[in-house]
Amino acid sequence: MVREVSESCVESLLAEIVLSYCSGFYANKPELAARRIEAIGFQVGHQLSERYTMDRPRFTDNLDAIKFICKDFWSELFKKQIDNLKTNHRGTFVLQDNRFRWLAHMSVDPSVQASGNIQDPSAMAENKSAQATGMHLYFPCGIIRGALSNLGIECAVSADISNLPASLCLAFIILMPLLWLSQNLFSSISLQNADYAALLVQSIIF
Amino acid sequence: MIVCLAVVGHENNPLYIQSFTESDDALKLHHIVHCSLDVIDERVNNPKKSSPAINEAFLGLLYPTENYKVYGYLTNTKVKFILVTTDLDIRDADVRNFFRKFHAAYVDAVSNPFHIPGKKITSRTFGERVSSIVKPFGLNSAS
Repeated sequence: MVREVSESCVESLLAEIVLSYCSGFYANKPELAARRIEAIGFQVGHQLSERYTMDRPRFTDNLDAIKFICKDFWSELFKKQIDNLKTNHRGTFVLQDNRFRWLAHMSVDPSVQASGNIQDPSAMAENKSAQATGMHLYFPCGIIRGALSNLGIECAVSADISNLPASLCLAFIILMPLLWLSQNLFSSISLQNADYAALLVQSIIF
Repeated sequence: MIVCLAVVGHENNPLYIQSFTESDDALKLHHIVHCSLDVIDERVNNPKKSSPAINEAFLGLLYPTENYKVYGYLTNTKVKFILVTTDLDIRDADVRNFFRKFHAAYVDAVSNPFHIPGKKITSRTFGERVSSIVKPFGLNSAS
C-alpha cells in the first residue's frame, strides 16, 4: 500500500513553518529559527530513511549511502534523482539539483529590489532574495542530515543557491567529520561537533 | 512456537522485548537475546567467505541452544531484530517472511512522531500488530 502526499500541501506547510518560526516564534533570532527548522528536518529524515531502506541490502560504505540518498531517497521525496554528484574523496560531497521542487513555485518579491541602495541595486536585491530563500533550505538540509545519521554517518549539511531564480540550481554540501579543508578563507580546521560544523558552514555560505 | 522477540538499537540498547510464554523464564530469554548480540556483531564484522551475501539483512540461524533456535536480522540503520523460537523444524523462508512483516511493523512504529528515537517503543498498536504476526507463525510451519 503506497500512500501519497499532496505536493502543494507540503509546499504550503513548509512556507508556513518558515514564516512562523522566522517572524513568529524567534522573530529576532534567525539563527535559532534556523536551528529549530533544521532539527525538525532531522527527525523527519531519520524516520524517512528507516522507511526507505527497508527492502534494500545493507550498504558497504559511505559512498553507497550517499548514492542511496542521491538516487532512491531523492526520487521518493522529489520524484527525480540528483543531477550531479561531486566529491573530493576526502569527505566532502556536493549534490546538485537543477530544479529543486520545493522552491520551484517560489517567487521573489520585486518590491525588495526597490528598497535597495541606489549604488548597487542588483547585488542588494540578490542578497536579500538569497537570504529569504536561504531560510527555506534548512528543512531539506535537516532531512539529509537525519537520513545520513540514521545510516551511521555523522555529517554537516549546507545548501547553496546559484542562478536564482532562473534555474534554481541547488547544491547540498555534505561534510563528513572531522577535518574540513577550505581553499578560500580558512586554513585547516578540525571540528569536534557536527552541529557546530553545520552552524559554521551555514554562517559562511549564507 | 515463538517464545521471544526483541528489537535492539544500534548502540545495543533494547527498544522492544516481548516474550510470548506464560512460564516465568523471561530472564532466561533476555539472557539468550543478550548473548545473541555478540554473535550478530561477530557475523557482521568477520563475514565468512562461504556466506553468499554479506550485505543481506537476514542473518539466519545465529546459534542453537538445547531447546531454542535464535534467528537474527540486521537492518540498514543498524537495528537488530532477534527471534527466539522452540520450533525445531522451521523453514528459512517462513522466518524471512516473518522478519519482513515485523520490519514493516517496526518502521510504522518508528514513524510515529511521538516516538523518541533511542527510547523503548511504547505503542500499543505495535504490540497488537506484533501479536497478530506471531500467532499464525507456529501454525503454518507445524502443518
